[in-house]
Amino acid sequence: MTQSPTLSRRPASSGSPLPRKKRQRGTDARAGYTFLLPWLLGFIALTVGPMISSLYLSFTNYNLFEPPKWIGLDNYTTLFQDERFLQSVGVTVGYVVFGTPLKLAAALAVAMLLNSKRRGQGFYRSAFYAPSLIGASVSIAIVWKAMFGDSGPVDQGLSFFGINLGGWVGNPSMTMPMFILLTVWQFGAPMVIFLAGLKQIPGELYEAASMDGAGPVRKFFNITWPMLSPVIFFNLLMETIHAFQIFASAYIISNGEGGPAGSTLFYTLYLYLRGFSDFRMGYASAMAWLLVIVVGIITLIFFRTSKSWVHYSGDSK
Amino acid sequence: MINRRHFLTTVAIGTASAAALSACGNGSSSSGQTGSAEKPVTINYTWWGNDDRAERTRKAIALFESKNPDIKVNGNFTDFAGYWQKRATEAAGGGLPDVMQWDLSYLRDYGQRNQLLDLGTVKINTDAFEKSLLPSGQIKGKTYGIPTSTNAFAVYYDPAKLAPLGIAEPDGSWSYKEFNDFLTQVGTKSNGALYGGTDYTGVWWMFNIWLRQNKIEAFTSDGKLGFSKDDLKKWWNLTGSLRGTNAIIPEDRVTQLAPKSPFGSNATATEVTWDNFMAGYLGDSGAKELKLVPVPSDDPDNLGLFLKPSMLMVASAKTKFKDAAARFIDFMVNDPEVGQIFKTSRGVPASKTQRDGTTFEGTDKLVVDYEKSIEKYLKDAPEPPIVGFGTLEASFKRIASDLNYGKLTVDGATDAWFKEAEDLIKQNS
Repeated sequence: MTQSPTLSRRPASSGSPLPRKKRQRGTDARAGYTFLLPWLLGFIALTVGPMISSLYLSFTNYNLFEPPKWIGLDNYTTLFQDERFLQSVGVTVGYVVFGTPLKLAAALAVAMLLNSKRRGQGFYRSAFYAPSLIGASVSIAIVWKAMFGDSGPVDQGLSFFGINLGGWVGNPSMTMPMFILLTVWQFGAPMVIFLAGLKQIPGELYEAASMDGAGPVRKFFNITWPMLSPVIFFNLLMETIHAFQIFASAYIISNGEGGPAGSTLFYTLYLYLRGFSDFRMGYASAMAWLLVIVVGIITLIFFRTSKSWVHYSGDSK
Repeated sequence: MINRRHFLTTVAIGTASAAALSACGNGSSSSGQTGSAEKPVTINYTWWGNDDRAERTRKAIALFESKNPDIKVNGNFTDFAGYWQKRATEAAGGGLPDVMQWDLSYLRDYGQRNQLLDLGTVKINTDAFEKSLLPSGQIKGKTYGIPTSTNAFAVYYDPAKLAPLGIAEPDGSWSYKEFNDFLTQVGTKSNGALYGGTDYTGVWWMFNIWLRQNKIEAFTSDGKLGFSKDDLKKWWNLTGSLRGTNAIIPEDRVTQLAPKSPFGSNATATEVTWDNFMAGYLGDSGAKELKLVPVPSDDPDNLGLFLKPSMLMVASAKTKFKDAAARFIDFMVNDPEVGQIFKTSRGVPASKTQRDGTTFEGTDKLVVDYEKSIEKYLKDAPEPPIVGFGTLEASFKRIASDLNYGKLTVDGATDAWFKEAEDLIKQNS
């Protein structure tokens, strides 16, 4: 960096140092790509390749045994007449719209509690993060199924307070709250990011606000929220994309069927059933691509709207 | 020194000779590669089932290996639902196991698409089989599966649960109305502590039997539906007045109990299903004794019952060890000692050699006796169901469950099922 002013002052025609630098940059790049190679090969062979072939398959009728038959856009048009598909869209959108904000609210609330100086914060941080470490696992889904089943701990706990809902697992109107609780409980990952963001907010701001007589609510909306907005944006984006992909817990809790009465037929679960139970790989591929496109559009919308509420430090706003 | 040209030549010669050698290997004998006691061949065998079946299968494999020192069998198992997803991916990759336990529902999916070996081309002894049973493993003159055993539909009940309610044991000659009344009686007298049964109209095979009682075949020989929407509506309306009462277990309870059955969980007094589930139900429920009686019918002379292969043995079309695979299948279906190991847990042995070589006691005897008692009513087993039948059977159950949840009316459920079925038949034709 210190050299660059001298370099730029040299006339371009003198030649020799510039090409050398170029050459060196070339070797650097080559070395860089060489180190990247294992990852790149994996990415191309395991991600890009299958994606391209699934794009092709989405325009075909493919049952795994016989060669794919080209049928154009048929899969995409049939999708919108398929009641089970529309149901799966409804279930997934409900889950994303209610689950994600609640999860982020829980994460932010806990992060703010853990941000204050108190004895044993290190322990609490680990304790609150733990559910997220094990949360995505198969065993937790099995435990939740037992907890929310007939005469499980949740049922018994609620009947102690005189609320008799019975088991949640078999009740079509209670399965969605159960899944939302499961995701809210796994707030650890966004919480850690929020916590890091909160630590970046200069303490002087709060001090100054206190002197001016601002209460905690005021401080939250005028300091914490705007200062934290890039982190909130990041978490919102990641968690939304994540929520669209829910599969494992739904598969286990509903025995891979999406029941009861289709109330847990999440998008990816239906995609899986279409592909691997009904052998309709073309149809499943079309569903997969539709999901990619929709999530892409939602991400784009998030980025567009972010300008009005996300403040980066150094911004004039 | 290896230079570039030298290297390429070596590779080319190597590849060519490998190809030539493997071509010889395939061409030299029609029965595929064979092994010897010193150098045994290894075949892969896969099945679905619980731990109990795994234990019995391991015993059978050990026996086979001791009798056939030139063959080793590598066994592997999963549960029923995961089984078919695994097979689908293997078939797509061209790597199905050499020998597999199979279900009638999926015989056409794989047989018609050239994934299974024509067992008529290898040596398997079928002399001891009922001639009416073998066609259920055949498609267009080719034998893709050999039945290991048979099962038939029956109504299970637990006498110990009926006695305290003061309800007489059924004798199995009943109309649908009498059967419904029986279910209602259980629900009323027990005051909901014990439900009459599961909604039997949600069971595809019971529907199939009812159709046959009315002289209708579920599928036509060219793979179309053989019944009308009105038939299905009539069927689903049979228990219309029972849904929501204590005669039938509510659907949310069924979901909670899954994967265990309501009957196995002691929540219902009866269950309508295959007779070879006996051992499983006894284990699950802890009941001392369970009894079997025939299914209801409005025509006492036509019960619509048939013996179905409870499972079949098939081989992969791509197996390199045709001879070994055939010997293993022959052993599993015919050997009397194998019958002694499995008893009726696979169903009643289909081969007379195996059946006669097995001593049936206790509950196993009940199942064998039941199949004997219905002998005079039995009709030919239906042909292997249409391609994609597994999906249709699953959606039948799912839609009937929605019906019980009250999410669909009978008309809506019928329309929904026909839409899915017609769409599937169009897909696969």
